[in-house]
Amino acid sequence: MERKQLVFFVALLVTCLLTAAPQLRAFEPSKPIEAVVHTGPGGGSDILARAIAELLQKEKLISQRMQVVNKSGGGSAVAMSYLAEKKGETHTIGFFTAVWVTNPLTTAEAKVTVKDLTPIVRLVLEPAVVAVKTDSPYKSMKDFVEAAKKNPGQLRQSGGSVTGRDNLVRLVIQRATGANWTFISFPSGGERIANLLGGHVQMMVIEPQEAGEHIKAGNMRVIASLTEKRLPSFPDVPTLPEQGINVPVIPQARGVFAPPGVPKDVVQYWEGVFDRFAKTAAWKKYLEQNQFEDGFLKGPELNKFFDDLTKQMREVLKEAGAKVVR
Amino acid sequence: MEAIGNLLLGFSIALAPVNLFWCFVGVFLGTIVGVLPGLGPPATIALLLPLTFKMDPTTAIIMVAGIYYGAKYGGSTTSILLNVPGESASVVTCLDGYQLARQGRAGPALGIAAISSFVAGTFGVVGLMLVAPPIAKFALRFGPPEYFALMVLGLTMVVFLTGRSVIRGIVATLFGLWLASIGTDLFTAQSRFTFGNMELLDGIDFIVVSIGLFAIGEVLVNMESQSGAQIFTVPKGLRNLLPSMQDLKDSRFAFLNGSVVGFFIGVLPGAGSTIASFLSYGLEKAVSRRREKFGTGVIEGVAAPEGANNSETGGALVPLLTLGIPGSATTAILLGALFLWGFRPGPLLIQENPGLFWGLVASMYVGNVMLLVLNLPLVPLFAQILRLPYYVLYPAIFGISIVGVYTVSNSLFDVWMLGLFGLLGYVMRKLDFPAAPLVLGMVLGERLELALRQSLMMSQGHLSILVGRPLSALMLLFAGVLLFMPILNKVRSWRVKAIEQEL
Repeated sequence: MERKQLVFFVALLVTCLLTAAPQLRAFEPSKPIEAVVHTGPGGGSDILARAIAELLQKEKLISQRMQVVNKSGGGSAVAMSYLAEKKGETHTIGFFTAVWVTNPLTTAEAKVTVKDLTPIVRLVLEPAVVAVKTDSPYKSMKDFVEAAKKNPGQLRQSGGSVTGRDNLVRLVIQRATGANWTFISFPSGGERIANLLGGHVQMMVIEPQEAGEHIKAGNMRVIASLTEKRLPSFPDVPTLPEQGINVPVIPQARGVFAPPGVPKDVVQYWEGVFDRFAKTAAWKKYLEQNQFEDGFLKGPELNKFFDDLTKQMREVLKEAGAKVVR
Repeated sequence: MEAIGNLLLGFSIALAPVNLFWCFVGVFLGTIVGVLPGLGPPATIALLLPLTFKMDPTTAIIMVAGIYYGAKYGGSTTSILLNVPGESASVVTCLDGYQLARQGRAGPALGIAAISSFVAGTFGVVGLMLVAPPIAKFALRFGPPEYFALMVLGLTMVVFLTGRSVIRGIVATLFGLWLASIGTDLFTAQSRFTFGNMELLDGIDFIVVSIGLFAIGEVLVNMESQSGAQIFTVPKGLRNLLPSMQDLKDSRFAFLNGSVVGFFIGVLPGAGSTIASFLSYGLEKAVSRRREKFGTGVIEGVAAPEGANNSETGGALVPLLTLGIPGSATTAILLGALFLWGFRPGPLLIQENPGLFWGLVASMYVGNVMLLVLNLPLVPLFAQILRLPYYVLYPAIFGISIVGVYTVSNSLFDVWMLGLFGLLGYVMRKLDFPAAPLVLGMVLGERLELALRQSLMMSQGHLSILVGRPLSALMLLFAGVLLFMPILNKVRSWRVKAIEQEL
């Protein structure tokens, strides 16, 4: 080989190595990202995922487009098994809620659990409050619990699925206080509120942002915050432990999973992206607008969160008489 | 007088060129979405929402609402022409609409659908404008027992939907009720009749069943007749392409019935336009003098349900705008959208944003006129589809059905279900089982079960709650009357016969 050629090849090799090196170190998406959600268009997860996709692009935190894909069905089973089938796929993520933990616990058909997927981050904690009608005699959760003790089963609460947070809250309070009231499921949030305002039920668990307008109009009163600390928007509303009801907070969390078996650098990439994202002003503003809590968590703490939540949910559901299948 | 002042304010907003333009875009998109089976208003609105963030919020809601009510106009087109329901609210339109098309009266059927949509749609807006707050308050009195009574009232419509054999009608209804029970039980989170199948956890989609039974079943039956002859009588001349004066006269009551029933059902959260269309069809048949002709192609059988599903839009906006309570998937998305546009949806929305509310109301008047002007000239055009030879038409119906069903939730499983229900539709036709009661059972079944179990939870198991409340008692009584009316009629006709014989 001539010297000139040799120099040329060495130079080429060095150039290649230099340009390739960053790519060996860090993953960078090379095509549009697929973001899977378990609700149809307009559902809670869908709205959040679309907002995050837009903010990520606006803040230039990802170089590729993020496309929201709706895989609704089976509680969350269809989306979760879709994600599980994408084993090793580096351009797919999924947005979870607490349903991803509870649904597989009670549904035999939902074979994929959170343990099968790769946790990335938890982003949001959704606070909740307990609301009654304005003309209701109950001024605090304690009043309500006392009344429920006097007339077991007579008082009623409207809510969603029995595995949803609103029913789990009822179950832990009943266990702690010995009170007993009826939980009536309604498929849509609108009906839950309508039945409270119409006087067909006496109490409901509601998100603070949703309750705000009804309170302002004088239709509703909030009697307890279902949070660790009082909510900034409801500084006068005490938490359950403050009212002498010692129950754990049942979290409604939202965040991101990757499919099983994705390489470590991809996990690190997404952790990095969302770490930076969670610190942006735009995201902080979004949280404030929706009255969400910043629930940022990653790594081993996130794994522990899922383990604890699964354990807690399994216990509560079993106690409620639900058929826990795994 | 205040309303007139407000309405003038509304028109000054709605008639601004930019709002007129986006209103037209909305109703035009809505019509297209309505014509295409599968893709419904909720998905369309959700997908288009990001586009609206840069608009003025009032303009945005004017456009989005246009999609919502525009889709109801378009829904009847494929129902009438191809027996493929474009939206679940147009399933009942197939019953008489398609028969009319076969008799060469596709034009009048499409025309009356547009006219009835216009009349009832406008009625819905008037209702929204004048009586929103009091009627929203009244609707709150509807708790689970009242919903149960309403569903029972709906189920008695079976009597009017069955053909010759009542037994066959009841069997079909029961089968529909069973289909509605498939999926995850809301109260215990247990799966029912899913046979370990993940896809069945959410139940079977109503639109999949109806497209299978109506469209695929019909094509299969027609394919059998080897003749391959024209199944449609194609009208000649322009005169027969639009409804005649007689058609309009026949539909007088249907316009009113559809308007009122649709609006009121719309106001109730969780009932929805599908139930509204079935109820108004049943009511129309119940009071009609030519009851026995329903299902063979009577014009009012198209006018009533098409009116009801349009008036429902105005009704559904009542709880959303006056109380901040969404009653359906579409209004739930609208609620989210209002929030993203910077409004605070809730009981104070109208007070705090009169421009938004009155602008929207005025734009809906304008939009309904636009839709009428847009849809009527399309009628002769659409009616030409029936000139296609069967070897083009049948594959096209299969194609439209499959694509439509697939787009409901992007699931191939649904396409298999479509085939299954197509075969069922074929078998039912062969054995002379009516399809309409099955579909009715499926529509009402889920709500019926929910309401009954909710009521019994409220009363801790006492059935008395169902008749102990005045509203539900009244509706149950009315249902009883409806149920016995055919029997009474029979008795009367025996008596008439007996008297005639005596003479």
